[in-house]
Amino acid sequence: MEHQFVTELECNQNIVHKVCTLYTNDRDSHNDLFQEITIQLWKAYPKFRGESKFSTWMYRVALNTAITLYRKSKKSIPTQDYESVMFKITADEYDPTEEQQLKLMYNAVKQLGDVDKALVFLYLEDKDYREIAETLGISEVNARVKMNRIKNKLKTILNP
Amino acid sequence: MDELELLKRDWQKKDKQLPQLSFDEIYKMIWKKSSSVVKWIFFISIMEFLVPHLIYLVPSMSKNLAVWKDLGLGNILVISNVVQYSVVLFFIFQFYKRYREISTLDNAKKLMSNILKTRKTVKYYVIFCLSLIFISFIVMAVGIYLNEDPMTALGYGYKAENINPDKLKTTLVATVVVLGVVVTLVMGCIYFLLYGILLKKLNKNYKELKEMDI
Repeated sequence: MEHQFVTELECNQNIVHKVCTLYTNDRDSHNDLFQEITIQLWKAYPKFRGESKFSTWMYRVALNTAITLYRKSKKSIPTQDYESVMFKITADEYDPTEEQQLKLMYNAVKQLGDVDKALVFLYLEDKDYREIAETLGISEVNARVKMNRIKNKLKTILNP
Repeated sequence: MDELELLKRDWQKKDKQLPQLSFDEIYKMIWKKSSSVVKWIFFISIMEFLVPHLIYLVPSMSKNLAVWKDLGLGNILVISNVVQYSVVLFFIFQFYKRYREISTLDNAKKLMSNILKTRKTVKYYVIFCLSLIFISFIVMAVGIYLNEDPMTALGYGYKAENINPDKLKTTLVATVVVLGVVVTLVMGCIYFLLYGILLKKLNKNYKELKEMDI
């Protein structure tokens, strides 16, 4: 069973890395959170019955771990080499203004609270409001309202 | 909001830049120990269930039990022990039931609410223990007050010959009451501080999710 689990996680590890990217500021914390999510996924794996896709099931456990179970939220300053991984844009479409804009956006998102980040994460992952609402345990209408508020919040952070 | 759409496009192209772990690296991770809040709550709670009972195993504490008998409070002690252990068993059962309900597969709000409920069970248990400690001090004070020769009962008879018995009694009663208040407060503070720190983040996020649905 562990063989199958690890293989599936290896194929879908980007989801976990993305959650870690959003919720941590340095490589150590990133690895730490990745490990905790992996442990929680493994613990929950016997209950995964293949009714949904492995990846869909992962979103819930990964986000729950990040916003609920994970305790260490070090308030460390992002390190230079980590930042460069986050904001790198592939060379062929390099556009200085766009890169600057993206950098500001990532910084703004990083300043949001845990729950807001979860909403933004699911939005960026192109999940619909029904799934966002289900993952967080709020109503669909409220998920929409909240997302609009976050958009305004981000605007304020970008243009104070 | 254009920026968010821009971010979304970039986010979806990010896969290539993310770190990639090998099968072996992930395989090693699944056998590591979790450091989640739930695990901490579990261990601390078990400790809290055990510690008040371990105290009775310390030799000087069991000697103290004899003091209760000498003060004429033996029956009260037996009754209170029966009550205490039934309540402890009830709490342990409740705690176990709540703990089993915690599942990372629930939605975030339900998961948080279940963790907080589990913690609340232990909170009530601690309040019960603290009240019991406080009450036992008060009962002891009453016992001293009603006893004719409290110093002998407490095992210090030989020292009390030259002291005014009334004054001594008042001092003893006051000391026991003050001690009761101090011990209860100190233990209460340690407990609430421990959980306060442990669940600060979870509490904040839960409040935020709850407010969203108002």
